[in-house]
Amino acid sequence: MTTLRAFTCDDLFKFNNINLDPLTETYGIPFYLQYLAHWPEYFIVAEAPGGELMGYIMGKAEGSVAREEWHGHVTALSVAPEFRRLGLAAKLMEMLEEISERKGGFFVDLFVRVSNQVAVNMYKQLGYSVYRTVIEYYSASNGEPDEDAYDMRKALSRDTERKSIIPIPHPVRPEDIE
Amino acid sequence: MAARGHVQDPNDRRLRPIYDYLDNGNNKMAIQQADKLLKKHKDLHCAKVLKAIGLQRTGKQDEAFSLAQEVATLEPTDDNSLQALTILYREMHHPELVTKLYEAAVKKVPLSEEYHSHLFMAYARVGEYKKMQQAGMALYKIVPKNPYYFWSVMSLVMQAISAQDEKLAQTMFLPLAERMVEKMVKEEKIEAEAEVQLYFMILERLGKCVEALDVVRGPLGEKLTSELRSRENKCMMMYQRLQLWPECNALSYKLLLKNPDDWQFYLSYFDSLFHLMDKSWSQPEEGEHCVEGPVQTTVTEAVKFVVDRMEEQDKKESRPLRGPYLACLELIHRLRQRGCPDEKELGDPLELMVQFFGKFGDKPCCITDLKIYLHLLPPEQRSQFKKRLGELVPLGEAGEDGFGFPGDTKALQRHLCVCQLSRALGLQHALDTEGKLRLITELKAHYHHGLQFGKSCLKTELQFSDMYCLMAAHVYVDLWTETGDENMLWQCLGVLEEGLSFSPSNAQFKLLLLLLFCRLGAFQPVVDLYSSLDAKHVQHDTIGYLLTRYAGSLGQFAAASQSCNFSLRFFHSNQKDTSEYIIQAYKYGAFEKIPEFIAFRTRLNQSLHFAQVRTERMLLDLYTEADVLEESVKAMGVCPEEDDIPWDNMRDNRDLTVLVSWDPKDRELTEEHRRLSLEEESVWLKVRSLTLRLLASLALLGHAPSPRNSDKTNENGISAKSSTLQTLLSQLDQTLETAAQITEKQTQYPFLGPPSSRLASALSSGSCHCQASALQLSLTLRELETTGLDDSTELQTQICNAFKSSVAQLQEMLSRCKGEVLEMKDGRLTTRPSLLETLVFFVETVCVVLWVASYSASVLRPLKSSLQKKKKKKKDSSSAMPVVLCGFQEWTGSLQGVVTQALDHVKGQEASLTALKLAALTLEEGYSQTQEECGFTRAAMDKVQSSYLGSLQELGDLLRKRADSLKSLKI
Repeated sequence: MTTLRAFTCDDLFKFNNINLDPLTETYGIPFYLQYLAHWPEYFIVAEAPGGELMGYIMGKAEGSVAREEWHGHVTALSVAPEFRRLGLAAKLMEMLEEISERKGGFFVDLFVRVSNQVAVNMYKQLGYSVYRTVIEYYSASNGEPDEDAYDMRKALSRDTERKSIIPIPHPVRPEDIE
Repeated sequence: MAARGHVQDPNDRRLRPIYDYLDNGNNKMAIQQADKLLKKHKDLHCAKVLKAIGLQRTGKQDEAFSLAQEVATLEPTDDNSLQALTILYREMHHPELVTKLYEAAVKKVPLSEEYHSHLFMAYARVGEYKKMQQAGMALYKIVPKNPYYFWSVMSLVMQAISAQDEKLAQTMFLPLAERMVEKMVKEEKIEAEAEVQLYFMILERLGKCVEALDVVRGPLGEKLTSELRSRENKCMMMYQRLQLWPECNALSYKLLLKNPDDWQFYLSYFDSLFHLMDKSWSQPEEGEHCVEGPVQTTVTEAVKFVVDRMEEQDKKESRPLRGPYLACLELIHRLRQRGCPDEKELGDPLELMVQFFGKFGDKPCCITDLKIYLHLLPPEQRSQFKKRLGELVPLGEAGEDGFGFPGDTKALQRHLCVCQLSRALGLQHALDTEGKLRLITELKAHYHHGLQFGKSCLKTELQFSDMYCLMAAHVYVDLWTETGDENMLWQCLGVLEEGLSFSPSNAQFKLLLLLLFCRLGAFQPVVDLYSSLDAKHVQHDTIGYLLTRYAGSLGQFAAASQSCNFSLRFFHSNQKDTSEYIIQAYKYGAFEKIPEFIAFRTRLNQSLHFAQVRTERMLLDLYTEADVLEESVKAMGVCPEEDDIPWDNMRDNRDLTVLVSWDPKDRELTEEHRRLSLEEESVWLKVRSLTLRLLASLALLGHAPSPRNSDKTNENGISAKSSTLQTLLSQLDQTLETAAQITEKQTQYPFLGPPSSRLASALSSGSCHCQASALQLSLTLRELETTGLDDSTELQTQICNAFKSSVAQLQEMLSRCKGEVLEMKDGRLTTRPSLLETLVFFVETVCVVLWVASYSASVLRPLKSSLQKKKKKKKDSSSAMPVVLCGFQEWTGSLQGVVTQALDHVKGQEASLTALKLAALTLEEGYSQTQEECGFTRAAMDKVQSSYLGSLQELGDLLRKRADSLKSLKI
């Protein structure tokens, strides 16, 4: 019971209940505007009947088609605590995957903190698998040390042989990923 | 930074080190390197510009600017110089100069696609829509690429949007844009989705909804593929605007069959249904009745539709969706509004809500869902409802304390939801004190019990039972506000601090703690709490008010200044940031986003909070730093004539519902509250902004050359300065009148809503009037300066009276500050934070009065010395000193006296605060608080004590600093 619609600038004034979560980053305005200017279709918000924002997903399409690396990327996905356990994140992921399918992407990928077990498990349930580990992808904040990320992927229908998700055994450094 | 071409030009090689220095922030070396290069290659213009960038970044704006202009007048056409100048002008906040640069460049190289496109973007950055339109067409003529053509079209749309005259938009800009697109359509040149989007946008703005629909439904519409449901959404929008209710209804119906959880379509389904009923619309006898499919026109059909959707969910094996069940309640609500008896067919709201709870009671959002429909229950059913829900909550055997506990997190969530609902139904508020205390005990017991389920939770996760803790805190607040018993508040702080210790990232705990500490007048703990929220960027605008409302008013000037800076940094980057993405939106053809970005930028620029922090920051700087008012005002560049606050378009971007509340509807924040709060804050802002401008005006008064002994006493500059002061003073008087009317209303906001502004306490402290009369005094002195000492007895007496009255006013203000801010009495700790606020107003007023005194001295000093010269000439020592000079001496003596008293008061407060041994306080353990909770309460008390001390110290320091200026007041 949710209204799913395009995220707009005005939503930035209303998303505190989602973004005051310690694992949800509040980015600078340029970051949001860049996504809205370039990939508006990939920025979707869920709204409750009372008008509260429930959660949002923000993503983009990138990579070379020739190298079969054209894909959808999940930049941010967050659901406010009171709207969790409703399958909303899964719904938003499904939408992002559908958009990526339409764009002819080979796969969808995302980065997640290795410590964020809840999220990692959820993505696994949604069909994602760890493609590689990125060392110290998340820089230190609030006295916590740097943290590794899992680069997780799910193949889309265009990648019929599911080549894009064959795991890379060795961890990589952030500067080595595109 | 600047792009360096891949073809190695020898100049590129020469310039490279300078680029590198600039990139690494080594501006000095960049300047040196540029100088070196310029010695050898005088005509290497780019080196000059790069040097200018270095100069600009080391604060030498003027030098940088003239160097840049040297190059700019040559009208360069090399990439390096152009790009470097673009960067420089942007950093100098002169984006309009970039347009001149490329205007010159395209004149010289008229066929350059690159320069034309830079010119277009340069216009875009400054919003020159008309020129953008031309630049776009010029580009298209050179290189006939579709995007260029549509840039031009979009610039026409922007001219329409920004036109003051809506008629001009409708009759000229938009039709022209439409024709331009039609031309491309006819020539079958439409290529991209963005172009169709733009076409749609134009038709929509023209109100040509039928044509817009045709585009979306027709072959062009097939290009609308990026966004999910793009065509459907656009059709729906048009149906609603055209009031094509059959289509609207049929499309909603269709979409709901596909996704029975999408709320917006239930709303459009019901809306259209009732419109159709009101119009007694009936299906045409023959043919297709609606392009979107079957239309539903009766309540019976709607009821069946909703019931079917629910049944569909009931049968499902996977997780049921909430939509259909809530749609059922929504339909009852709407039928009831219409007085339609058919609602009975859907069932009894109580039963339906009980069923809903049975299905979704273990979801945290159950409360949010049901809260909207609680009004469907008649008051007499409320207790019964709670009882029925209780039957659906599996709890274990009740223990000694009479409480049974849930066995798992699902049961916990259900139980919690019942508590939340009973709060929302007003059942908690109806309890008496005993009942509330018992409720708190129960909530705390559940909170503690529930912690066992979250033992493995990470620091970043919330505890399952956190919300019990928060609710206990809410009930404590209820008790505190009803009974005034401060112990409730202390215990509330204790329970929240405890909660935070188990759930260190719970933002709601932090927010409520923050609010409570502020209400207690203790700002110090707030700094850490706020910073642990990690609020950034736009959040400074939405929740920054929590900090800035209190920091200054509680005498924590350093923290106040810092809080304002956080916000200001955000606002100042906004202008530059948004322009960049408006340009990106052109590049990527996100035309719909362009007006959105511009509206967003405006919303930030017109933010109430922005205006507040801008003003407060400058006032703070004056109060804390301005030993010599003139110098500080000059350094800040405050212009008294200038009012940069958008009073008529102020936007309240504060997030006033950021604190979770389960209060019943009649206690919730209303639109009226929002309006009143904005009104109150605006008036207070006006008082502050006028004060600031008055101080700037006072400073300039001091600057003006003395008009004494001159016939040209009414030199334009001088009289203008005092007339500005006069005008501002009368504006202040008016504003204070409005302020008095507003405070008379004594608006009370919900506790978790917006804090009251400082208006009421400012007025009751007497500070506004004291400051106003001091500033008025400066005008009278101005008059004396013109008249001179002879023949001005009346004026002098008037001034002397004003001297005396300002002392009396200060004395009275000070007496309002007397009392213990923190006191231990009969084993209880009581606070009087208002004393602290009043003291802050007193100190601010002392600052203002002393600046006026310093101005007075500057007026009287030359009068006195010329008098002495005259006396010497006449060798006349018999005549008495003019009254105003005696009066002034008396005045400064009395001011010294008041300040000394104030300092003694502060010292006394500090001493008694330090002497207060909170450890000696016995907190009742047992029934109401456990030992651990007592520990947390004590910690909170210590924080408050130490914060008060901190405030007093800052206030004392400031008073001492200002008192120093008294020494220089001798005439």
